[in-house]
Amino acid sequence: MTTLADAPAPAATTPAVTAASRLRQVARERPTDAALRVKNRGIWREISWAEYWDQVETFGHALLAMGIRPRDRVAIHSENRPEWLFTDVGTLSVRAVCMGLYPTNPTAEVRYLLQNSGSRLLVVEDQEQADKVLDIPADELPELERIVYIEQRGIDRYQDPRLVSWDDFIEEGRAHRRAHPGAVEERMAAAQTDDLAYLIYTSGTTGPPKGSMLTVGNCDFSGSILASGEGLINPPPGPDDFVLSYLPLCHVYEKAIAVWLPLWTGAVVNFGESLETLMTDIRDIQPTVFQGVPRIWERIHAGIQVKLASASWLKKVNAAVWLSVARWLGRTLVRTGGRHTPLSAVAYWLGNLFLYRALKERVGLRRCRFGVSAAAPIAPEILEYFMSLGVPLYEAYGMTENAAIATTNRPGRVRVGTVGEPYPQIEVKIDEQTGEILTRHPGSFVGYWEMPEATARTLDAEGWLHTGDVGEWVDGTHIRIVDRIKDIIITSGGKNISPSEIENSLKTSPFVKEAIVIGDRRKYLTALIGIEFDVVSEWAQRHKIGHTTYRDLSEKPEVVKLIQKVVDETNAKFASVEQIKKFTLLPKELDHETGELTATQKVKRSEIEKRFGNLIEAMYR
Amino acid sequence: MRARRLHEVLPHGGEPGKVILEVDNIHLSFAGVKAVDGVSFSVHTNELFAIIGPNGAGKTSIFNCVSGFYHPQRGAVRYEGRELLGMRPDRIADLGIARTFQNIELFPQMTVLDNLMLGRHKHLKYGTLAALVRAGRASREEARNREVVEGLVEFLGLQPVRKSYVAMLPYGLQKRVELGRALAMAPRLLMLDEPVAGMNLEETEDMARFINDIRWELGIGIILVEHEMRMVMDLADTVLAVDFGRPIAVGTPAEIQNNPDVIRAYLGEEHGTAPAGGGAE
Repeated sequence: MTTLADAPAPAATTPAVTAASRLRQVARERPTDAALRVKNRGIWREISWAEYWDQVETFGHALLAMGIRPRDRVAIHSENRPEWLFTDVGTLSVRAVCMGLYPTNPTAEVRYLLQNSGSRLLVVEDQEQADKVLDIPADELPELERIVYIEQRGIDRYQDPRLVSWDDFIEEGRAHRRAHPGAVEERMAAAQTDDLAYLIYTSGTTGPPKGSMLTVGNCDFSGSILASGEGLINPPPGPDDFVLSYLPLCHVYEKAIAVWLPLWTGAVVNFGESLETLMTDIRDIQPTVFQGVPRIWERIHAGIQVKLASASWLKKVNAAVWLSVARWLGRTLVRTGGRHTPLSAVAYWLGNLFLYRALKERVGLRRCRFGVSAAAPIAPEILEYFMSLGVPLYEAYGMTENAAIATTNRPGRVRVGTVGEPYPQIEVKIDEQTGEILTRHPGSFVGYWEMPEATARTLDAEGWLHTGDVGEWVDGTHIRIVDRIKDIIITSGGKNISPSEIENSLKTSPFVKEAIVIGDRRKYLTALIGIEFDVVSEWAQRHKIGHTTYRDLSEKPEVVKLIQKVVDETNAKFASVEQIKKFTLLPKELDHETGELTATQKVKRSEIEKRFGNLIEAMYR
Repeated sequence: MRARRLHEVLPHGGEPGKVILEVDNIHLSFAGVKAVDGVSFSVHTNELFAIIGPNGAGKTSIFNCVSGFYHPQRGAVRYEGRELLGMRPDRIADLGIARTFQNIELFPQMTVLDNLMLGRHKHLKYGTLAALVRAGRASREEARNREVVEGLVEFLGLQPVRKSYVAMLPYGLQKRVELGRALAMAPRLLMLDEPVAGMNLEETEDMARFINDIRWELGIGIILVEHEMRMVMDLADTVLAVDFGRPIAVGTPAEIQNNPDVIRAYLGEEHGTAPAGGGAE
């Protein structure tokens, strides 16, 4: 190994590969090809790579014009849209650090994130997000100099001197470019692999959010792995691939699939109309690479069920036949790891002809050649279902702190119930004492922003990242996640139980949206269950059960009976200590704004136990 | 790809403060019952003019006199200097006056888009023949009008229900569609009859935001009949209070809130601010 003194200074050689340099590269190779597509006023419109680069470079100039230095923080608070990417990559182009907020972050969290990161500039999407930051007294955000707003509606009436419209800001960038041509490229040429690129705040089911620092090198590592396909996507992703960007862009998962992967491969990023139109947007786009969280896969699954339920009898008969074949196919594929046997190949070919193709077309997954589920464990039933229809869906595992790179299932080697195998060039091990999964590779973050103790707890001296997840090897090749270390339930009988396995089993029912299993230091397990309002409401209508609100529906004895059946089915799969003895339906939908869910829709256990303490206690009386 | 503002989609109301509508001492009675009794007011471009009053005070009757559904026995209604009395409602609509109704009047068996496109009816400029072959002018015109309608879909956040049948939509959304249809007519005077009646708090706030944005971005004249007092006082430039068909007071929201006659007739009953026993009787 060479010592640092021997190595040539990195700045003297080629500059580090950054998201901005990747963009410039693709823009030179394919200037007129579509880079981004946006559904706007009902029509898909294209933004070419050259225009994308122009917007990014101009944004970079505007940042230079206001004196943004390397390592300064630029924040953005918006739904997914091209301007998000312009801000993100534009910020990186001048070696500053981009920090994203979740559109659902309420004012109190906006204050914390802006203060903690010390952001000098904030891009807000519209009046709604502008109102949140303007509600915070200016002297509480001493570092925040400017607020750039994308949508003018409503904001052009405001007086705050920090406000500037996107168009005016870009105009400042153009002026700066005229006066200092090449200034952004100069800054880019000085980029180092250890430059800070992003502060990605982890939602924190406990304690305040921590800003994970990802470097330029981390992104290059992750982007390169995704671009190589790693045997996952064959041929590797390229300009013919379509990605739909809809998960929060401030999350590492969306960052990897919708920012890095396209920039490192030239794939096209699509932006739908809104989150409410997601299902229509998927159908319009027919993405080839589709990243989902279990919730989304469940929704697509539930959507198919609901559509089939209201189909004509002929279609129902056809569906019944081929879905039963699909169940057999699913079982076969689970056994073989995803490889067809000669018999299953024939059955699949026929099923595809009669049903699967049409179903996939309907839900927008017909061209999908790489589906991922990550961020939370997916129910085996859902995975099996999509596999049987011929949707290549793989469960993968990664986290902010390792730039989303750890393990993944791969074609022909799928183990349902695991998060797959480590990527080839990385190190993964499981701590023998604690069972914690550890990873080590060039994608490991460099620490939490201004939190040295938390950093030291997570990143050890040998460079191992402590993930906080308990896992175990399956067949010595695949990893199964047991639970978060801190979520493991130890019953009063001393038995270790992983609540999330039971919860996920409950959530495979289309009727169940949330499930929280309780039982730490208690005699037996209980559960709080939140119904999926739309689906249960549809079911109730078909059974002529009148209802009004969420609460009213949850209190119907018929609904309680319906959920009891779901609980019984889950209990049948578990040992008796792991069975749910009692459950209560939640009287309201859980919400980020009220603090019951994190920004990524994860349940905050402590908060739930506080809020619904009386419901819980009633189950132990 | 930013959202367009309304004035990029629809014609602007023009120079603010110009008189657009003059109602001059109108009287309307049904079989001897006086519904409107000597009401006069004028509305300007870029003005939000609200009419308030207890139930049955004649607010909607005033509306109907302007839009041509009722014919007052006496008085005059001039719009941009032109006498409206005696004109058919469709002619009045053609002049640039659009309205919504207290009870939604949409085509429930048609989609949201079709309902909005209907609002563009008078702006479609092609003949039957062109429509039959659906080429050249007809298809260009359809596309141009669809652009306008898409601008409204965006403004009102109707993207998820674009192709849904109106009958299937919840009430609050139907109200929005109705507002969209009125806007699609590209009015210079917009008349809203209780736009938030029966809405929950969130829907009411959304609607208030829409009305405010319309006024800000289009600068047209808007007449609002409304019970939701907080919304009227927040949004309106001028308020006319009526009772038993008679005008009680005209003024700014602050003036109206402090007017003793108005408090007696209306606010007093609802807000309990009138001294005990100080009723009108």
